[in-house]
Amino acid sequence: MNHRMGAWRRRHVLGGFVGLAALGAPAILRAAPSGQPVKVGGTLSLTGFLAQTAVIHKIGAEIMVEDINSRNGFLGRPVEYIMLDDQSKPDVARSLYEKLITVDKVDLIMGPYATAPILAAMGVAQRYGKVMIQSSMGIPKLQTYDMAFPATPFGSEPDKTYPNVLLDCMATLPAPPKTMVIVTSKFPSAQFMAQGMRTEAEKRGVKVPLYLEYEAGNRDFGAIAARVKEANADFLWVGSLGLESNQILESLRKLDYTPKTSFHLYPAPGPLALSPDGNLVWSSTFLEPDEPFMSRPGMKKIAELYKERATKANLPYAIIDAQAAGMVAAWQILEAGVNGAKSLEDKQIAAWLKKNVVTTVYGPTKFDGLYNHGEPAQLIRQVQDKQWKVIWPKQFVAPGVKLIAT
Amino acid sequence: MAVNAARDLPKAAAAAAIVALAFLPMAKMPAFYESFIYLIFFWVSLSTSWALLSGFAGYFSLGHAAFFGVGVYTTAALTTKFGVPFLITVPIAAALAALLAAGIGAVVFRLRRLRGELFALLTLAVTFVIATIILNTPIDGGGGVFMSAVPLPDLMPTQTGTIYILGFAMCVLTIATAWWVAHARLGLGLFAIHDDEDVAEAKGVPTFRYKIAAFALSAGIAGAVGGIHAMYVGFITVAGTFELTVGLYVVLMSVLGGARHWLGPAIGATAITALLYAFISGGEAIMGRAIVGLILIAAILWLPDGVIPAIQAWLKRRRAAPVATRAEVVPVVPTTAPQISERSILQVRGVTKRFGGLQALAGVDLDVHEGEIFGLVGPNGSGKTTLINVISGFYPLTSGAITLDGAEIGRDPAHEIARRGVARTYQIPRPFANMTVLDNVALCATFGGPRRSKAEMRDEALHWIGFTGLGGKEEVLPAGLNLHERKFLELARALAARPKLLLLDEVLSGLNPAEIDNAIRLVRAIRAQGATIVFVEHLMRAVVELSDRVAVLNEGKLFALGKPREVMRDPRVVSIYLGKAYAA
Repeated sequence: MNHRMGAWRRRHVLGGFVGLAALGAPAILRAAPSGQPVKVGGTLSLTGFLAQTAVIHKIGAEIMVEDINSRNGFLGRPVEYIMLDDQSKPDVARSLYEKLITVDKVDLIMGPYATAPILAAMGVAQRYGKVMIQSSMGIPKLQTYDMAFPATPFGSEPDKTYPNVLLDCMATLPAPPKTMVIVTSKFPSAQFMAQGMRTEAEKRGVKVPLYLEYEAGNRDFGAIAARVKEANADFLWVGSLGLESNQILESLRKLDYTPKTSFHLYPAPGPLALSPDGNLVWSSTFLEPDEPFMSRPGMKKIAELYKERATKANLPYAIIDAQAAGMVAAWQILEAGVNGAKSLEDKQIAAWLKKNVVTTVYGPTKFDGLYNHGEPAQLIRQVQDKQWKVIWPKQFVAPGVKLIAT
Repeated sequence: MAVNAARDLPKAAAAAAIVALAFLPMAKMPAFYESFIYLIFFWVSLSTSWALLSGFAGYFSLGHAAFFGVGVYTTAALTTKFGVPFLITVPIAAALAALLAAGIGAVVFRLRRLRGELFALLTLAVTFVIATIILNTPIDGGGGVFMSAVPLPDLMPTQTGTIYILGFAMCVLTIATAWWVAHARLGLGLFAIHDDEDVAEAKGVPTFRYKIAAFALSAGIAGAVGGIHAMYVGFITVAGTFELTVGLYVVLMSVLGGARHWLGPAIGATAITALLYAFISGGEAIMGRAIVGLILIAAILWLPDGVIPAIQAWLKRRRAAPVATRAEVVPVVPTTAPQISERSILQVRGVTKRFGGLQALAGVDLDVHEGEIFGLVGPNGSGKTTLINVISGFYPLTSGAITLDGAEIGRDPAHEIARRGVARTYQIPRPFANMTVLDNVALCATFGGPRRSKAEMRDEALHWIGFTGLGGKEEVLPAGLNLHERKFLELARALAARPKLLLLDEVLSGLNPAEIDNAIRLVRAIRAQGATIVFVEHLMRAVVELSDRVAVLNEGKLFALGKPREVMRDPRVVSIYLGKAYAA
């Protein structure tokens, strides 16, 4: 009995030591950040018409702040992310960045989501000399502030470079398209790319017999579909946002017309991949949860965390894509800038970023070009078996995946 | 002395607040506060400008974003494409928006059917049209306008301070304009249009002109506000500028504060902007918006007329009616025979009125002598009320001529006819529902009679309120009057215009015998004041007792004319109308 009791005691005492060690060890191993938090302020469009996409950025940001704090924080201090809701309005975004900087006295800022709030925030950042990293401005030439940095590798002139990526991919088809219909939303970043596509296509001998623009938010694509069918081009290029691609393809189906091959600029990835109309369509991307991207440092863990949280938040498409990855990359750049400059001073961070290469989920990223952009890395993906697969350029295509011609 | 000090206190507080707000940028407070207060100024100006037409006159617009957007893009285009200095673009933005509104108003306000929800939908359509034009022309073209290169004048030490002071100036100007309009003839006319536009016109309010003035003023302010806001936002897009929520927010803000009050929209705008900023933290954003929505729903349910009217009503309940407003005048019926001139004050010649295939009046000729009481009778549908409507200008003539005191009035608008000295009452009383008895009568004195000071108008109104026995009801709304009192309010309103010719449309219908006797005495007393009276009546006792002459209309034609007792005994009249002789 006593022996047994002794054994029991020994087991528990030992267990207690192990438990303490287990609790203490991560703190020692992680060198947990301590001291006054480094306050990073930013807004996201958590309500209003941009809210559906902004919630993806929110999850990306939360994952990254936890990840940074699980390591060393910023210079050994924990990071506190002050996230405010700009209600999808640029004027509110502007005032909230002023609040973050002049009232909350944040140490650093993180850019908002979408072009208009980004530009409103950029003006504030410029007046107060703050570094601003943004992940979702599709018109790089508008980023005129010297200390604003893009997290998504559009390159400085995506209206010239990306159409050529697409044209290169088209040229690999068994019967390369000779004609292209372009249909685009008048949403600034989509229209910007559509105009570039027309110019570059014509330069390379692909005729554009039909170029149509529709108002952002349009829901009735019947008339547009009729004209697309009438033009019957070899390739359909759609400058769409969100569900517009689904709606256009549905309108075309109602006219008994299936485009030979179609490309969609910024569609809602889940609905398009899962729709029968979306089978084998092309789209733009910067990464997919596949090789070689999953081999990038930390990517696998981030993708898993994203899936878990997006599922919990009831998002219709719980797979990490360019929207969430953009926010992840933005935090990776900020972390690299702070650690590289060993400072929270904006000027020093900006100077370091301009001279160095940062490894993000998008790969090695530089900021030494026009408008602080580096090399473009916009890719082409295709829906195959209801999943998005990168199909071009070749070096980003996963083993066993290839472009399926239609 | 103490009373004066109490009255001056709000004015002194307002002046102090204006001075304090003007010098706020000098306090070098954090820029956010300047920005936040600027956004309050912005919404105050925008919602107050909306209320100038939609709140005051009741022409509910859902398209205020159109005029705001014209201002935004005027400044954006002039500064970025033509290098015009920003400050110069603001008045141009205001002028273009005002011009657009005046142009739309000149077409729309002529059509009676485009009131109410049709006007709201039309303004919404204008927003879409303007947005489409801007989106599809080089003004924007779809790519947006980036204004970072546009220099902002150094009015204040900081850029935010400069935007703040411009927003502040615009806000003060807008509220001052709203105050002025609400206290001027224009405002009084707009309030009357809000309650009953046809009656307002008949009482002498130049409704068409006033609506255009209010629309242009409202749009002009929105345009100037847009011009300033373009600089605040920095990147202009069609979707962001013309979004539906701009129009909805101004409506919500105005309705919450009280759209008929000059300060109501400012209160609503301040409350809603502050509420929206109360829940900006990322963790509570969605719940916060839901709470804001619930607060607004509750406020609108509990305070349907808005915060300011609710406060005013509460204050009024606490106060007894001031003795000075109690009108006590006893109508005197002269014992001497009335003086009836041989001169015709009203001549009706060959008047016809068609409504499509229906001939309501088929060539009526009449002469009404100065000083007489002229009865107009006939079976239902004989054209009596149509004739009153034609004489008062409510219906345009199809053909014929009508002269008043020798001047042709047949084709004049109703408000011109009213100013020439024709006043009328309605068979079913149509008082201005949101105005007190005193305001109802004072409005008619203001627009129908000769130009006088405000105090004189008030005295005039009090006189006729007392004359018609409504003394003590001055501050009561028409809903608080019984039918008898409402009929007499109709009379008081008509008399306050000091008409040469008074048209009474079945003023006795629905009254009990004692009230009828009272009314007959009153009509006689009115005639004693020197007015000529034409009255439509079915009550034969009153017709016979009151009329000097009677005309009988049948099927839109003059059927008989003469002394009341003779006409009533005419077998032809009896057969078409009475069924039996009135007097043996």
